[in-house]
Amino acid sequence: MRSYNLKIAGYNIRIDSAEDGPDFVPGERFLRNICECPDSDILIKVHSGAYPLPEESERVFIAPYIVEIKGMKTSRRDNFWSVYKYQADLLLITNFPYSAPNKKAVLKFSLTSREWELWIAEAGSGTDPLEYPLDGFVLYYLTAINGDIMTHSSGVYIGRHGYLFSGISGKGKTTMAGLWDESGAKIIHDDRIILRKTGSGYRMYNTPVYHDDIPLDSPLTRIFIIEHGTSNKMNLIKGAAAISLVMSNCIQHNWDPELIARLLGSVSIMCSSVPVYKLFFKPDRSVIDHILENE
Amino acid sequence: MPDLKSILSRSSSIVTRKTGNEYVLVPVVNNIADMNSVYTLNESGAFIWELIDGRRSIEDIISCLIAEYDTDFKTAEADVYSFVNEMSNYLIVNEKSE
Repeated sequence: MRSYNLKIAGYNIRIDSAEDGPDFVPGERFLRNICECPDSDILIKVHSGAYPLPEESERVFIAPYIVEIKGMKTSRRDNFWSVYKYQADLLLITNFPYSAPNKKAVLKFSLTSREWELWIAEAGSGTDPLEYPLDGFVLYYLTAINGDIMTHSSGVYIGRHGYLFSGISGKGKTTMAGLWDESGAKIIHDDRIILRKTGSGYRMYNTPVYHDDIPLDSPLTRIFIIEHGTSNKMNLIKGAAAISLVMSNCIQHNWDPELIARLLGSVSIMCSSVPVYKLFFKPDRSVIDHILENE
Repeated sequence: MPDLKSILSRSSSIVTRKTGNEYVLVPVVNNIADMNSVYTLNESGAFIWELIDGRRSIEDIISCLIAEYDTDFKTAEADVYSFVNEMSNYLIVNEKSE
């Protein structure tokens, strides 16, 4: 395959192999997102080989490569991924933890251009151009360009109610999604959700994370910042506290004041129309009754 | 430690947004380990933040706080220095006023 379109969270992503580019074998998790769409929101032209970083480029953000050896966490010499700035372009360099160690990629893009370029070194005979973690970066910067919000959350939909449960790892997002699943709710996702403002209010969209994810979306009517507790208790949070709680659980690359300002603006506007609650919950069916009784 | 005559200005390494009488502040960072830090300022914190303009001294800010909240010098001084210590990473001590 030399080109294809993906529809993810309402974005139409066109991926083309350049003349010197590799053949594509999209990962299984993307197969249900492949579509025949005439127009695209973004075009990614893919090349094979390494992209030499211009000497004058400035590193603006890094994510160290943390590996665990015999129970001890240590940083590898190379970074997991990093972002460089060169003139008007951004250069995102990443390793691929689930591929051969020499496979690396450079995504060259900007927040104003709709045509991006991707170089993949050691791509092999057929490659997934959006292999983890590259898909997350493409989606993150698409949300930044469009004023949307990408968040670590689970989302469920039941009887015209769309609930987002947000919290850092270990706070119970997957547990919560499991409880609602047993109660017959539609599970939008249990890990990564994109929130977009539409003409009829906010909607939440899943993104392909697991191999069996199918594209889903629903209205968003309430946001819960979750914590495990000894009883079920929800408190309405307003103003700056609500915005900061939601922001804390958003995916964000905060190296650029403009990126921060855009996300802060989007979250502020959303929090002015979608109620935000702090929810302490017991991990059983009682939390579902508690939420529905308080509708 | 800035003294009463020190003039404070805000660092450009933080992005702010006012909502009602409060502020949300998000630092500019260059490492994923520092990501997701978000601060909020309540009404009195927001009042002090808005007075930090690169022209007023700490003494001026204390005077404004006394006038606004009808408090004594010692309490206002403690509040301002507590704020300055808390936000020290995002403030620049420029110079001393004459």
